[in-house]
Amino acid sequence: MTNAVDAGDVGLLELRDLKTHFFTQDGTVRAVDGVTFEIRDGQTLGVVGESGCGKSITAMSVLRLIERPGRIIGGEVLLRGKNVLNYSDQEMRDVRGNQISMIFQEPMTSLNPVYTCGDQIAEAVELHEAISRREAWGRAIEMLAQVGIPEPARRAKQYPHQMSGGMRQRVMIAMALSTNPELLIADEPTTALDVTIQAQILELMKALRERNKMAIMLITHDLGVVAEMADEVVVMYSGKVFERADALTIFEQPHNPYTRGLLASIPRLGDKRERLEVIRGVVPNPLNLPTGCLFKRRCPYAMPVCDTPPPVRQVKAGHISRCWLTPESEPPSIGADAPPEVAEAAAQELTVAGR
Amino acid sequence: MDRIEPASLAGVDTSARDALRSDTDEIDLIPVRTFWQLARQRFMQHRLAVIALFVLAILLVMATVIPLATGIQYRLSDLRLINDGPSLTAPLGYDEVGTNIFIRLAKGTQSSLIIGGAAVLIIVGIGTFVGAISGYAGGWIDNVLMRMVDVVLSLPVLFIILMIVSFFGVGDIRVVIIAIGITGWTLAARLIRAEFLTLREADFVQAARALGAGHRRIILRHILPSAMAPLVVAAALGVADSVVTEAALSFLGYGISPPDASLGNMLNKVRIYFFSAPERILYPSVVLVLIVLCASFLGDGIRDALDPRQRIASK
Repeated sequence: MTNAVDAGDVGLLELRDLKTHFFTQDGTVRAVDGVTFEIRDGQTLGVVGESGCGKSITAMSVLRLIERPGRIIGGEVLLRGKNVLNYSDQEMRDVRGNQISMIFQEPMTSLNPVYTCGDQIAEAVELHEAISRREAWGRAIEMLAQVGIPEPARRAKQYPHQMSGGMRQRVMIAMALSTNPELLIADEPTTALDVTIQAQILELMKALRERNKMAIMLITHDLGVVAEMADEVVVMYSGKVFERADALTIFEQPHNPYTRGLLASIPRLGDKRERLEVIRGVVPNPLNLPTGCLFKRRCPYAMPVCDTPPPVRQVKAGHISRCWLTPESEPPSIGADAPPEVAEAAAQELTVAGR
Repeated sequence: MDRIEPASLAGVDTSARDALRSDTDEIDLIPVRTFWQLARQRFMQHRLAVIALFVLAILLVMATVIPLATGIQYRLSDLRLINDGPSLTAPLGYDEVGTNIFIRLAKGTQSSLIIGGAAVLIIVGIGTFVGAISGYAGGWIDNVLMRMVDVVLSLPVLFIILMIVSFFGVGDIRVVIIAIGITGWTLAARLIRAEFLTLREADFVQAARALGAGHRRIILRHILPSAMAPLVVAAALGVADSVVTEAALSFLGYGISPPDASLGNMLNKVRIYFFSAPERILYPSVVLVLIVLCASFLGDGIRDALDPRQRIASK
């Protein structure tokens, strides 16, 4: 596997060839299949992809929250150079919510309905710090103030159902940040919120990122959110990383056809087109993946050579792409409908160039 | 769009304008009510439950105060007063051996309530323990525990209780309590397990796990409080069930036997007067029915009161 890891530099979090499979009765689902990337201190990494591409499972694997029938069957999750897959359950609990915190997609259901918001934040603190109940409560109020909740002392005594969705997501963020984690995993933190609240929450996360100097792993299918927040972007498809580059490159010079498809399908204001640009077809059934490139059935550039699994190539420094297409310039205009002999010839040529 | 003219605001004093602005934050002005305040409010809306609580309270007071005040009178017989009619000291008259029926009824109610209360502790204890572990752990542990429940369920309960009681001592209230307790926890276990199965997958449980909470903490602090509803239902049914079982046991002569009083053995004693003095059958029966009904209604009320998602209807 080719990837540009600077030797000697121990990053905050590094995934190496992580594989999480689900052993269902119908067969094995390779939800995460050989994911490799790293997050450095203070960096924001956006993980993008369609539903079911393995984004959330990747995040859950980092915290080892995978439940039956799923299992992490290979690879490494290096946190400050140490593989958390070898940690004991107790060590893992110390990591969760302390070194790495997570906020979830659904603020409406991610808070326990039977405790007040203050209680829940205080509990998060108590779990990881030897601190009295009173001090923890004080911290909870302080955190609520930090995430921009007015009258925090009063709000702390309220139950989740007495708050709006945006408020609850703020409480979730307060809870996640109460222990000052080095990495925040945000699993679609704004998906369930309306647009104005989304913007507020993103602003809040940015501000807190600066203040706490923490890294964020931002999982989303919203490219707008990525453009707003991320330094680097990982594009996932069917459990594999298809493209990885800094955010500007992803938006300005994407290489992978899948990334191009995603970007093309964003509707724009003032668009004259009757229909939205879409990626044809559907995500392949995880129980019945195509041989070769997983995207080939939907890819406008699909070639016969795509029946062979594509290599992960370096397009330029820090920019990798899983595709047969040449890194240089535009991809050739060889579609799936191209005459077989033309495509064959082109594929031959590319394969040689690629190797 | 109605545009506010600057001039129209000029004359208004600032306090009124501030009031206007804080209008949007009106929700912040609603006083914060504590959990128990809310629970009480919800409970009071449940009229049947309030009545049930009231009736149970009366029964409880009678079953405590009267036996305390009258000592062993419930077992004394006065041959001069056999089948005497009601009077001020004996509102329900005297029975065929000259015992004050009212005092005996109070003592019998006491036995029933003690047995119901104590047995339900065992039932809920075992039921919660087994149900929680079963539902939370899942897999083969769940399988083993639930098959155990099936085995207990398939046993003829009354027969088992009779066996235990006759083996360990007829008439001993502790044996009766334990016998009822260890045969009656299956329903509680199943209800709790079902609740744990769903709650285990709940987002807030996932969130707690992601925060680094351990299994014990998740079970006790995050799932159990939300599983209160079936727990209360199981307890209410458990009380009703235990009281009835005890009555049946005593009726058969294996529970609490005379001269000790219980609703069951009172019923047994008066069954031969079915036609000559039917009211005597009525007394213990009515108390029995009241206990069972009130326990159910009270359980309903408490379940609804403890559910924070339940809305409080505005008057």
